[in-house]
This record gives sequence, C-alpha cells and structure tokens, in this order.
Amino acid sequence: MTSPRTYLLLLTALLVLGFGLAADLQPQFRAWRGSRTQGDIFQVLLGDSRRMFANEFYVKADAYYHSGFYPTIFDNNEAFKTAHMAEDTGAVKSSNHGEEASFMGPPRDWIDAFGRHFFPDRHTHLDEGGPDDDLSSSDQVREILPWLKLSTDLDPQNVQNYTVTAYWLRERMHKTAEANQVLLEGLRENPGSCDILFELGRLYEESYQDTNRAQNVWQAAAQNWRPINSEDDAKYANDFIFEKISTALGELERSRSHWPLALAWFQAAQKVSRTPEALQIWIDEMKTNMASATNTPVALPR
Amino acid sequence: MATILKADKLRVEYRSREMRQATKVALAGLDLEVHAGEVFGFLGPNGAGKTTTMNVLLGFVQPTTGAASLFGIDVRQPIARQRIGYLPELTYYYKFLTAEELLRFYAKIFGLARGEADKRIDTLLKLVELEHARKRPIKSYSKGMQQRVGLAQALINNPDLLILDEPTSGLDPLGRMKVREIIQRLKNEGKTVFFSSHELGEVETVCDRIAIIHQGELKVIGRVDEIRKPRHANLEQAFLEIIGFQAQLNP
Amino acid sequence: MKNIFAVAGVVIKELYRRKDFYVLFIVTIVLCLVMASVNIFNDDKIVRYLKEICLLLVWLSSLVIAITTTARQIPAERENRTLLPLLAKPLSRTQLILGKFFGCWFACGLTLLCFYVFFAALAASREHQLPVLDYVQAATLHWFMLGIVVAIALLGSLVFAAPSSNSTICFVVVGGIMLVGRHLDQVALTLNEPMRGITQVIYFIIPHLEIFDVRDLIIHNWPLIHWNFFGLALVYALVYTTVFLTGACLVFRRKPVN
Repeated sequence: MTSPRTYLLLLTALLVLGFGLAADLQPQFRAWRGSRTQGDIFQVLLGDSRRMFANEFYVKADAYYHSGFYPTIFDNNEAFKTAHMAEDTGAVKSSNHGEEASFMGPPRDWIDAFGRHFFPDRHTHLDEGGPDDDLSSSDQVREILPWLKLSTDLDPQNVQNYTVTAYWLRERMHKTAEANQVLLEGLRENPGSCDILFELGRLYEESYQDTNRAQNVWQAAAQNWRPINSEDDAKYANDFIFEKISTALGELERSRSHWPLALAWFQAAQKVSRTPEALQIWIDEMKTNMASATNTPVALPR
Repeated sequence: MATILKADKLRVEYRSREMRQATKVALAGLDLEVHAGEVFGFLGPNGAGKTTTMNVLLGFVQPTTGAASLFGIDVRQPIARQRIGYLPELTYYYKFLTAEELLRFYAKIFGLARGEADKRIDTLLKLVELEHARKRPIKSYSKGMQQRVGLAQALINNPDLLILDEPTSGLDPLGRMKVREIIQRLKNEGKTVFFSSHELGEVETVCDRIAIIHQGELKVIGRVDEIRKPRHANLEQAFLEIIGFQAQLNP
Repeated sequence: MKNIFAVAGVVIKELYRRKDFYVLFIVTIVLCLVMASVNIFNDDKIVRYLKEICLLLVWLSSLVIAITTTARQIPAERENRTLLPLLAKPLSRTQLILGKFFGCWFACGLTLLCFYVFFAALAASREHQLPVLDYVQAATLHWFMLGIVVAIALLGSLVFAAPSSNSTICFVVVGGIMLVGRHLDQVALTLNEPMRGITQVIYFIIPHLEIFDVRDLIIHNWPLIHWNFFGLALVYALVYTTVFLTGACLVFRRKPVN
C-alpha cells in the first residue's frame, strides 16, 4: 500500500515539473502574444468595435446634455446630426437642419399622444438650466462628463472628445486643472494634434493668463498644421482649425502691438477662411496701425 | 345510511395519441355509492381506472358523461371538497415550507380560524409524530416523514370523508400499522374512508365494503365476506378470479 | 379572497427563501457602489450616470425576478406534485391562478421597494435632495408594469411546456416591446402589405410597457407626471393584466392537472 509520503513526493515533483515547464515556455509565449501586449483593456476586449461604443457614449453625452429629450433612430434627427454639446463649444461645423424641438412630429395616434406624457418632452440644454430652466444650476452640465470620459477612453484617437470635454470642464465647471489634464492626455494619444494644441493654448491664455505659454503652444500647432486636398467637411474642419490658430496668434500679437506679426497671422488665416471679408477688417486695422507706428523687428513665423 | 360519495354512470374517455385508436376509455359507466361511516376499499389492477375515478371525484378531471357528487354536491364545485381530506399516492409538498407552515396554509384554505387551526396543527403533529420537526423545512424530511406530513394535511380540516390513494405504499411495517390505526380511529369517530390499495391483506382487515374495478368497469361491489365466501377463497384469490386472471391461467 | 391571499402568501415565502432576490440585490449594490467610487474629474456631485446605472440594474433585476418566479409557479407545482393536494382543497382553479398572480406581483412589489429605497439613498447621497413623490410615481408605474409581465408569464406557463422556454419568450417579448414598441407604427410604414397591416395590428394590440419606463424623467429630474395621466396609466396596466389573467384562467380550466 502506497504511503501518504509517496503521494506528497509525487505532488511535489509534479509541481516542480509544472513550474519548470512554465518558466521554460514563458519567452515563447511572449513572442506569440504579439500586438495583444500593446493594447489597453478595451483594445484587447473589443478590438475596433470600441469605436462604435465610443460613438454611442458620445451620443449619450449629448442626450444627457438635453436631459433625455433626444431622437431615436426612428425619429427625424436632422437637427441632431452634430452633437449640440460640441456645436455649442464652437469647435465643430454644425450640420443640423430643422427645428430641434419637433423631431417627433405631431402625435401619430392616441397611444403616441398618451405615451408622450411619460418621457422628456421639451428641448433644453443643461448649461441653460435644464428642465427646471434654472440658470443658477447651469453647472449641471457636469452630468455629461462621465459619458465623454468613457467615450475618450474607448476611442483615444477621436480628438473631438478631448476638446469638447476640456471645453465644458473649463468653461462651465471652472475645473482648469482637470481640463489641462484631459488635453495633455489627448496630446499623448494624438501627438501634434492641432485641435488639442489650440484648445490647450486657449486654456493657458484664458484660465492661466499665461500668454507666453499659449503663444508657444499655438505656434507649435501652426507648425504642425498641414493642408489637405479633399473637398468635404474634413477640409473645412482642417482649414477652420488653422484659421482659429492663426486668428488667435494674430489677436495675441495685436494685443502686444506687434502689428507686422499680427498682420501676417491674420493674412494667413484669411487664406483658408470661408469668410475672408470678416478678417479683412482686422487686416485693414493692422495696416492702419502699422502706418502710424514704428515696430521693433520681431522674428516672424514661418 | 346517508350517501356520502356517489358516482352515476361515470364515463371518462381520453383522446389517444395513436392514430388507430380514436379514444381510450378509462371509465366505462361507473356506478358507485359510499355510505356515511364506512371504510370503503377501491381495488383493481394497475390501469384499471382507480386513479381516474379519484381524479374525477376530486375535480381534477372532467367526466365525459355521467356525474359524481360528494355530500350531494357536484364534484365540479370547489365547495364539495370542503369536508374531505385527500392523501395522494406520492406525497410531495412545498420543500421551502415547514410542516407547521404547510398545515397553516391548508387550514387557511379551509377557512379555519387561527385558534382552531393552531389546536388542530398541534394535535395532528403529535398524531403523526412530527412534533420534533415542525419548524424544519420539509426538504430536510425523510420519505416516511413526508408521508406523515401528507397524512396530517389530509386531516387538517377534520374531514368527514377521507380519500386515500394507496396510503401504505412505500411505508415500512410500522408505518403501515400506524396508517391502519388512524383509519380505524377515524372509523370509530364515524368518519368515512375511501381508499385504494394493492395491500389486500390490509383491505380485508379494515374495510367494510369493497369494489373491484377492471379495465374501467366495475366488476363487483359489496362486503368483503359477500365477495370472498361464495368463491371459497381468500380475498386475493377472489380478486384474481374476478379480474379474470385465473381464466387466463386455466383457459 | 382568503384563499387567494393564502396562495399568495406561499409564493412570497418562496421568494424570500430562495436566493434569487438576494443575489440580484447584492450585485446591484456592489456594482453601483463600484461605479460611485469612480473619480470623474474630481467632481463628487456627478450623479445622473449613477442613477441611470442603478435604475438599469433595478429594471433588469426586477424583470428577471418577475419572469423567472412566475414562469416556474405552475410547472413546479405540477412537477413537484404539489398541485394535486392543493386542488383537492376547496380552492378553484381561478383562485389558484389569482393567488399565484398576486403572490408574484406582491413579491415583485417588495423587491421593488428594496431596490428603490437603495436607489433613493444612493441618489440622495450625491444630490442632497429626495424627490419622494417622483420616486413613488416611478416605482408605482414600474410595479404595475410588472403586473402585466407577471400576467403574461403566468399565461405563458400554462401554454408552453417548459419554464425555460416560457421565460425566454417572455424576456424576448418584453424586451422587444420596451425597445421598439413605441415605434412599431413607424416601422409598419416602411413595410409592404400584408406585413404592414400585421405590424400595425400588433402595435395597437400589444401592451405598451415602455410607457411605464420613466427612468429618463427620474434621472434628469423632470417634474412630476400629471396625476391624471398617472392614474390612466395604472388603469391601462390593470386592463391588460385582467386580459392576460382571464386568458390564463380560461386555459387552466381546460388543462388536466396530472
């Protein structure tokens, strides 16, 4: 009859064998894993479908912005093609048409008419007081932040997530440090992104009153910018961000009375602008100022 | 003597799933009467129609034709079951309830007042020797204990008619003796007992009258002596002769 | 009525002696507390996402409890042979069905009470306000909706052979109505005949359970539903519940019990 000691020795031998085998195979296993070692948890679990989830959470944030009054896929969503929470930041071109409050249309039957008493039925924005129309509580816009954060985590390459989040953190919540952190995180995931750099510059200028830092960041953005040759909304967005960067730099130089630099920036903005006549006013002002003042030479932008 | 249980030309047909047979006749015009105060044995081989008869009497199955009544009330009325107790062959009860809770539940259905129900529960749990386990859930009971719970619930409303479907099935000799004692006690109290059984020895001992049913038809009904003596045999031999088993052996 | 409430009492006892409710309740609490512990931009006043997650878990849990508890009532009675000694008592089949319904419905009500108390405590810990009437309205509508679901599951338990198939079908039907019930008439317009006609008929026949889902109103702090419409919704629920229960009673009357 085999004694318990024999079983113990056998178990120990098996454990040692297993451990040795695992240690020996470890380097080979590392080589097998490939790209799975590089991705984060969402990348590993969801793959590219995480972008779909990110988009859903982005839309969810907009639904929260409207306190739940939001069209479904069955409703007319022409007035909600661009998220209003992004549109209100001024960062994106709006492609919305039609009346925002009437996407459901008139009641189709008595069931529809009755059912409308049981879900949100008015168009409101959280930063304008929400369903209570209480402007003192416009910081309720904080409620969109979890969904924006989740959207950001799932799709770090979507630059708009970072800029919209930072805007609301800074503008309404007065959380400048958090906004700064979001933008820096976005910059890590999207190095050289002009949109994020521009927003960062705005943060430094408006919240920290650090114009030098703002200027550095905007100049970096301007240096990173490259024109694109398509004719769709992507070109518009690309040109628009350069226009904003150039205009901001122009404003900065103007505030310092650096007229030639300011003129150069406004002219650069005018080249890509869809409303050049608006910029012409500034250009004319710069020229007038240059004519009546003497400027110290300053290094011009590229 | 008053007629407690009556079946009048009771016929039960089931639609057969086999295409060649249109219907299966479970009961073919059963006429039966049970009088107050008697212990009545309902005998028959497997598949004879005993359980079908009980199902009709208890309102589980609607008869195709004919009628049945308990205490003069049609069996289709729930009130007909107000004064009866029923012990099924296989006793399963709510496993998550204790014996006391089960009895209290059934007492509520019978409309017993709280105080009366408490007294009945105490009495019955002593009678079936489950006093020690009254607070334990039924899922922890042995088979014998579950059978005894079944007996207790059948007696909760102090029934005037007790319908027992093979009450000693699966019981050990001690359990069978206890059931016989309870039946005898009920008889002494003037209650009526209607039960089916395969234990012909027991039937001979306790029953006043018996009926033997075979293939849905009533073959014979009467006192045990009346059935046994003319055949000069014990009840088992008489039973086998009546159902035609002897004829099969000696064609 | 005493018979009905006696049967209902047994159903309620069964619910709190089984582990289903406790498991779902604890899972809900744990998930909500984990979500609440997440740091979102150092802002501890953000509460709506938490309310949404909590209410979603409450709705899912309540549907699971309602459907699974109800779906197994009659089949379990048959399988465990407890139906025979029960119907051998002066209890009609209609009383049994009603007793099972009220038992399951009251059991759902008790679980909803626990869930909504937790939800109110969680929301109040962040919002520092307690809109009691809003929560009462939401919980009551939710409970009455579960009444319809319980009645559907009870009818299903008499029609379908296995509790699992009944549960699956109930989940699919309830989920389908909640998600697209409101829009079926719009879907119908995109179809050709005869599917268009069939879809429109379905739209008008089905109980519109999505009416009772007022989570968005609670999450986003919308004002109270007008009490007249609230009352009408309850009546609507009672009508459908009665229809399904009547069907269940009629089916059960004809069913053999053994």
